[in-house]
Amino acid sequence: MKRQSSTVSESVLLEKLRQRDQQAFQRLYDQYSAALYGVVLRIVRDDEQAQDLLQDIFVKIWKNLDNYDASKGRLFTWLLNIARNTSIDAIRARKSQPNNAIRTDEETVHIVDRQHNTEQPNSDYIGMQDMVNQLRPDRKQLIDLVYFGGFTHEEAAQELDLPLGTVKTRIRAALQELKQLFK
Amino acid sequence: MNVPEYIASGILESYVTGAVSDQERREVDCMSTIYPEIKQELDELAVALERYTSQFSVEPPESIKERLLAQLDFDVPIRSETIIRPMPIDRAEGGGSLSFRTTWVVAASVGLLLLIFSVFLLSQLRNSQQTISSLRNTNSSLQTEAGHLRDQQGQTEQILALLRQPETRTIGLAGNEKAPNGKLTVFWNATTRQVAVDVRSLPALPANQQYQLWSLVDGKPVDAGVFDSGQDVQLTNRPIGRADVFAVTIEKRGGSPTPTLSTLLATGQVNS
Repeated sequence: MKRQSSTVSESVLLEKLRQRDQQAFQRLYDQYSAALYGVVLRIVRDDEQAQDLLQDIFVKIWKNLDNYDASKGRLFTWLLNIARNTSIDAIRARKSQPNNAIRTDEETVHIVDRQHNTEQPNSDYIGMQDMVNQLRPDRKQLIDLVYFGGFTHEEAAQELDLPLGTVKTRIRAALQELKQLFK
Repeated sequence: MNVPEYIASGILESYVTGAVSDQERREVDCMSTIYPEIKQELDELAVALERYTSQFSVEPPESIKERLLAQLDFDVPIRSETIIRPMPIDRAEGGGSLSFRTTWVVAASVGLLLLIFSVFLLSQLRNSQQTISSLRNTNSSLQTEAGHLRDQQGQTEQILALLRQPETRTIGLAGNEKAPNGKLTVFWNATTRQVAVDVRSLPALPANQQYQLWSLVDGKPVDAGVFDSGQDVQLTNRPIGRADVFAVTIEKRGGSPTPTLSTLLATGQVNS
């Protein structure tokens, strides 16, 4: 892995982005838009809303570039956090609208169902399922609920009818397993 | 601070998956700047999650990129050049109708008005300058204060981290005949080798002197850092892995390599 050269080119990219260079923006977009769009889609589960959100997310990234501090964390992680937080805020806003109250429950069930059913083939992720399916299903379900569903540990415990302690240890085990899988 | 235990607690995993409170997030941010092992573990977890989420990548429609390219402002606006044009000259014609005397009176009154106006402006300017300088003073004192508070908070957080460790031991030190009312508490964690001192009462020292803490190991004194009499709990920045007895002497500011026994004024047994 060319870790060193990628961090060097990343700092050059950042420098150019801060000068508001259009080509640099295109590089950033080409490099990360698919990953961010995947995350947004997985959170909001609605193509149209996901497209609007992706646009908002890149505007936010563009406006907040000066706040990114490479010493405090990785660029990709920073971008993912913006995408995740924006999308979760959007679904929370959608849920808090009273006329959607009934849909909300169905949606929750839908999310959980889909996550229970990890073997379900999905044309979007052809060829990418291998790694994902190596993760133990109970752990994958919990990561998806917390990371993509925006559930707190308490909410996840309630949702899955598990003790809070089990949720916490399982999340740790899941991340440690991912760390080993992607080493 | 027990770093492996902190890493094993699961808080870092909660942090990267976004399931922590604001307070917990600040705590992790702080810990990762202090302990490189924590920072490294956080980075590894972040990479794992990045790779995991990348598995779900979906190419967005091309139209989004086009909309963004049209919407965002690129490049810093180019500085427009200032064009210097000659002042238009107003050539008034005639003027012969006014008498020399009238012209003189008008000129004098205009001059007088200008003079009054400039005195007024001058006093306004003085007022503004005074306001600015007092604001500047307030601002700089606020900044200094904020800096102090930030330093203090960093200190407090480190001390709290030390005190939270179950292995941290509390050793009371009592003054001898040189400081009969002297009392202080030493907090010591043999695992992380951190030491903090809580001065409860010690006489104030002149500016060129400081108290110095020693740990005695098999009767040999080891420098455990210097501290002042006035403050609350202070971390002494010397790692101490072993100690039978803690002792305090008065030394020149900055500390001495060996203790001045004549100024020894408090001791405390670790296993008493």
